[in-house]
Amino acid sequence: MDIAVADRLQFAFTIMFHYLFPIGTMGLAPFIAWYTWRGAKGDAEAAAAAAFWTKIFAINFAAGVVTGIPMEFQFGTNWAAFSAKTGGVIGQPLAMEGAFAFFLESIFLGILLYGKTRVSGAAHAFAALMVCLGSWLSGFFIVATDAWMQHPVGYAVAAGGRIEMASLWTVLSSPFALWQFTHVMTGAMLAGGVIVAGVGAYYLLSDRDLAIGRRFVRAGVIAGAICAVLVVFPTGDRNGNDVARYQPVKLAAMEGLFASTKGAPLAIIGMPDVRDHSLLDPVFVPDLLSFLAYGNARANVNGLTAYATELWPPVELTYYAYHVMVGLGTIFGAIAALAVLLLLWGGRLYRARWLLWLLLLAMPFPYIANEAGWTVTEVGRQPWIVYGLMRTAEGASPTVSGGETLFTLIGFAGMYFLLGVLFLYLTLREIGNGPGVAHE
Amino acid sequence: MNSLAFGILAFMLGVYVLLDGFDLGIATIAPLIGRSGAERESAMRAIGPFWNGNEVWLIAAGGALFALFPKAYASAFSGFYLPFVVVLWLLMFRGIAMELRGHFATKIWRDFWDAAFTASSALLVVLFGVALGNLIRGVPLDADGYFAGSFGFLLNPYALLVGATAVAALALHGATFAAMRIAGAPGDRAAALVPKLAVVVLLGFVATTGATAAIRWHDLPALWTGALPVAALVALWLAARNAAAARARAAFVASSVFLAALFAAAAATLYPMLLPGFAGAKGIGIFDAAPSTGALISAVLAVAVGIAVVGIYGTLVLLPQFREKVTINLNP
Repeated sequence: MDIAVADRLQFAFTIMFHYLFPIGTMGLAPFIAWYTWRGAKGDAEAAAAAAFWTKIFAINFAAGVVTGIPMEFQFGTNWAAFSAKTGGVIGQPLAMEGAFAFFLESIFLGILLYGKTRVSGAAHAFAALMVCLGSWLSGFFIVATDAWMQHPVGYAVAAGGRIEMASLWTVLSSPFALWQFTHVMTGAMLAGGVIVAGVGAYYLLSDRDLAIGRRFVRAGVIAGAICAVLVVFPTGDRNGNDVARYQPVKLAAMEGLFASTKGAPLAIIGMPDVRDHSLLDPVFVPDLLSFLAYGNARANVNGLTAYATELWPPVELTYYAYHVMVGLGTIFGAIAALAVLLLLWGGRLYRARWLLWLLLLAMPFPYIANEAGWTVTEVGRQPWIVYGLMRTAEGASPTVSGGETLFTLIGFAGMYFLLGVLFLYLTLREIGNGPGVAHE
Repeated sequence: MNSLAFGILAFMLGVYVLLDGFDLGIATIAPLIGRSGAERESAMRAIGPFWNGNEVWLIAAGGALFALFPKAYASAFSGFYLPFVVVLWLLMFRGIAMELRGHFATKIWRDFWDAAFTASSALLVVLFGVALGNLIRGVPLDADGYFAGSFGFLLNPYALLVGATAVAALALHGATFAAMRIAGAPGDRAAALVPKLAVVVLLGFVATTGATAAIRWHDLPALWTGALPVAALVALWLAARNAAAARARAAFVASSVFLAALFAAAAATLYPMLLPGFAGAKGIGIFDAAPSTGALISAVLAVAVGIAVVGIYGTLVLLPQFREKVTINLNP
């Protein structure tokens, strides 16, 4: 097997599995901070909610650490040429993630888990806020690293082609990174909202922990509705503008647009046929793509055929992943809006069993939407590992063979299967144990 | 600045050896100090609050190597591809073993996971020792600085000797920790084990030092570094004596000094190289592998501030919370 393909498969598998857990930590952290603060002010039910979600958070955090170690090592083991050439830039935000964010998160998580009887309420609430900050900061450094690979800034090319850091500040404050980060964070918090609402719905449907279950449903759908808006506008919109500006081939692949078009339509559904350069069975909204990308309904949008085929990303995967993300995002928005309406309408939401079922069953889908979004970003970046600077095929380790990587990939799959079963068992057990408030 | 970066890296790895050393070591000797499942569980509970935090130092050192010396990071990690992946698997498997053992209360289930915990930990130490041995011996690098040799090359007698010595040294370290942290029979057995292990470590130490001098005779480090092995020997003797005299905390401190001196000696032997070449091959040194000075300064700052914060937190906040000894849980 081609080494770069095997390396990409391994990275894709390990990062997608790993990312399931940061979605949980980044998405739940704000809820924990909120409940801990309310708990510190004397709300006993909120304190129980905080303790409950902190336990779930800790399981996610542990699984995230365990699966995060191979991510950090993989840059060296599988992508040695890439690391040797660009390590002067990407090594720094990655090291800062470890040195600041990760330590911040683990230190204050310790206080949050074990310190309740040892520190004051205010200190406990502060620890929860720091855990939240740590998990978000962690996300920021990782996204900043990725954003540099999407749109490299603040670097200099040294002798021998080595790429070095010219300005750390430019790398960290790149607008591309900021909009990508806010989009990623609102996506994770949308997932957090669906998780909290879904667990609440589970308690209501099971006729147990009713008071706290209602609270979870209410907090989850309100946060979910807010994030369902934010994830589209402004963050998704601005992120899309950056892609249109700096990565027009990726945009064309996302939309399945083959021919350059003035007043390009937006394809709601359809199947890209790469051989015939066409979109099969499409449903279009006229002019919308031009408007969204450039703010002008008559603007020209370059199609894939405007670029050499070797610069195309894998079109089908980019297209489908993008449409899965947008489609799911739309459905979440509709469910959350409906749920908030019924909530405001005299709390009918708590009695609408069909909608509670919908909230419960919705739980896996924000994960799929988040993973699909990353698939668009990373698969759509191909054939570049650093956009315009270095090809993915040039980044692989020269001393490792495709067969070796395939072998270790299968090993990781086995190990992660065990880990996944353990994670589900521990999480479901905590949900089964419940927040421990007296039953009504 | 490049030497400072080397020093920071050596410091981080040294802290890792001291910290994860005791929990890997205690796992290695768990079957010797614990006769029953409940007794062995006391070994796991002794390291329960610590092991995850200890491993963070390995992750942080990996990240620091990436930021400080990208070329050495790339060459070492891809050159030692399979051993590195095996290390990752063992680290994960060890954590999973500790977690899984408690979930079913049957004897065969616990015995299996106890054995898996001990075996994966001991194997990890062997691999770490083998890696260190090969660093000192040198690895065959090609013109681009990539490793060009087989797994078999890495498993040479010298590296295996270092690996075996590492198992004994960390077992000793783990035994002093167990004597300090575990009350009752397992703690007493651990204390009694220390002088015996010290003899094994001494033999390994003499053999390794002799072999190292023979391998590196053409390129011996500065004379003052000779003080480090001497300090190590004194510390080893103190560890054995204090353990025999039931001064567990002093024994643990002495064992820590012993490991630190050994590790410092190894780092001094290596300096200023990161990956020395084998048999005349050009190696990777601290000036070949680093980015430009400006980039290096900001990377050094980022890493150093992080270490300072964690070090202060760890000693001031975390450790005092776990002063009380672990007792054997007879009703698990």
